[in-house]
Amino acid sequence: MLQLLKIDLKKLTSYRTFWIICGLYFITLLMTTASGMEFLKWLARTVEGFGQSININRIPLYHFPDVWQNLAWSSGLLKIMIAIMVVISITNEYAYRTIRQNIIDGLSRKEFLLSKVYTNLLLSLLSMVLVFLVALVTGLIYSSHLNIDYMFDGVEFYPAYFLEVFAFLSFALMLGILVQRSGLSIILLLNSYLIELIIKENIDDYVPWLIKFFPLESIMNLVPMPFARYAFQQIQDSVSLQAVAIALVWTFLFNYFSYWRLKKADL
Amino acid sequence: MNTVLAIQDLSKHFGKIRAVNNLNLTVEAGQVFGMLGPNGSGKTTTLGMLMGVTNPTAGKFLWFGEEPTPNVRRKIGAVLEHPIFYPYLSGQKNLELNAMIKECPAENIPRVLDLVELTERKDDKYKTYSLGMKQRLAIASALLNDPTVLILDEPTNGLDPMGIAEIREIIKKIAAHGKTIILASHLLDEVQKVCTHFAILKKGNMVYSGPVDDVGKGLETVEVNADVENLNEILLTFPGTSSVNLENGVYQVTMREGYHGKALNSFLFESGIVASHLVTKKKSLEKQFLEILSDAR
Repeated sequence: MLQLLKIDLKKLTSYRTFWIICGLYFITLLMTTASGMEFLKWLARTVEGFGQSININRIPLYHFPDVWQNLAWSSGLLKIMIAIMVVISITNEYAYRTIRQNIIDGLSRKEFLLSKVYTNLLLSLLSMVLVFLVALVTGLIYSSHLNIDYMFDGVEFYPAYFLEVFAFLSFALMLGILVQRSGLSIILLLNSYLIELIIKENIDDYVPWLIKFFPLESIMNLVPMPFARYAFQQIQDSVSLQAVAIALVWTFLFNYFSYWRLKKADL
Repeated sequence: MNTVLAIQDLSKHFGKIRAVNNLNLTVEAGQVFGMLGPNGSGKTTTLGMLMGVTNPTAGKFLWFGEEPTPNVRRKIGAVLEHPIFYPYLSGQKNLELNAMIKECPAENIPRVLDLVELTERKDDKYKTYSLGMKQRLAIASALLNDPTVLILDEPTNGLDPMGIAEIREIIKKIAAHGKTIILASHLLDEVQKVCTHFAILKKGNMVYSGPVDDVGKGLETVEVNADVENLNEILLTFPGTSSVNLENGVYQVTMREGYHGKALNSFLFESGIVASHLVTKKKSLEKQFLEILSDAR
C-alpha cells in the first residue's frame, strides 16, 4: 500500500500545478475557517438590518462545541478545489499516455487505481486534520469557558467530513477515468451539482424519499448546514448513520466503476 | 531451448476490423525476433496484448510458460510505439519512478543512463529532450530491471541516420548479452541487420515466419556485363539461365535451381568471353518481404 502511495506521490511532488492547487487549497481552507468572525462583521456591514437584529458578538461561531460542525461544514465547500487536482492528476495520465506505460512497466490496473485512491485518502486525511486543528485552536481562543463535558460534542463530524471529502474525490477520480479529458471532466464536475439539483427539483413532488439517495446529496448530508441554529431554528447536530451508510455505498460504487472501466479498457 | 513466448490463436477485433487474427508464434530464448509488416498490420496491437494494455478478443499467450501477470511484465522491458514519460519530470526522476514500479533498485539507474549516453542530461526535464534522446531514455527505462526479454516497437522511428545507427548499436550490444529481443519495425534493413528470426504480419494475419538466414536462399540472381554484342543470346544458351533482363546497362540473369554464379562465370570463360562485371546478388529481405506481401494477397 505504502509503495503504491509513494509511486503516485512521486509523480505529483515534482509537478508544479500540484503544489499550486494544493497550496491554494490548504491556505484557503486555513483562512476561510479562521476568519469566520470577519465574515460576520462583513455580513453586518453589508446586509441591511443584520447588525441590528443580531448582535454578532453573541453568535458562538467559534465556541465549543459549535465550532466543530461550523468549521466542518464550511470546509466542505472548498473540496471542489482539491477535486479538480484529482481530475488533473488522472487525466494527465491519459493525456501523456503514462497510464499505458505504467501498466507495461508492471503495475496491474488495480494497483494503478489503488495508487490514486490512496492519494485521495491522504488528501482527505490532511484536510480533516487541518480543519480539526483550526477548530481546536479557534475554539480554545474564543470559548469564554471550557467545559470538558460538552466541549467535544460534535467532534464526530470530523470522520464524517473525512468521508465527505473522500467520497467527492472518488467521484472526481471516476469522472476523470470515464471522460479522460481534463477540461470536459472539470466542467462535468462543476456542473454535476446543478444537474443533480435539477433532477431533484423535478422529482421532488413525486418521490421525495428518493432525494437523500442522490450521490452528491448524500455527500452533502454527511455534515448538515449548522448556521440556521443562530436564527433559532432546529438543526441536525449529529451525524446521521443513514447518511453515512448511503455515502459509503456511493463511495464504493464510484471506485468500483473506476475499476470496472479501467479493467475493460484498451489503454 | 527455452520458449520465452508462446502465442496461441491470439485475436483482437475492433468492431469489424480484425487487427490481429488467430496469431500463432513462439519466440525462443536468445533470439532477436523481428516483427515485420506495413503500417496497420497489427504489430503494435499484438505487442499491446502481450504487455497487458490491450485486452485480447480471443486466444492466449504464455510468457516463460506462465499465464501473464503484472509480475511477469516486470521481468520484461518494453517500449511500445513512442517513448512515454512524464514531461515535467527529469530523465533521472522518470527512471526513479519506473524503478519503483518495476520494483528494482534505483542503483541500476546510472548504469542504464551510461549505456544510452544520457548521463549528462539526466537532470533536465524530459520535455526538453530531442526525439533521439527520448528514444534512448525509453531504452534505458526498458533495461532498468535487467530484463531477460526486451520488446522494442519501432525504436528508430523518426530518428536521423546517426540516431538510427546509435540505436542499432545499442540493440546489438544488448543482444550480445544473450537477451531475447522482440523488435517490431517496418524498416527491413534494420531487421536484416540485427535480427536472427522474423515474422511478417499483414492485416492481422501472419503470412511468414522463419530465420533471417533463410532469406537469400532459393533462386539466385547474377549481374553480368561484358564487351560482347550478343551477350544476351549467349547468356540464354547457358543451361542454368531461367531468364535474362537488361537493367541499367547490365544483364540480370535469374538462375535455375542448383546453378550458381561460379558456373556461369566458367561457362562464359569457356565461351571465350571475359566478364567485365559479375556479381552474385543475395536477395534482400526487402525484396523477399515485398514478394511475400504480394503473394499473400
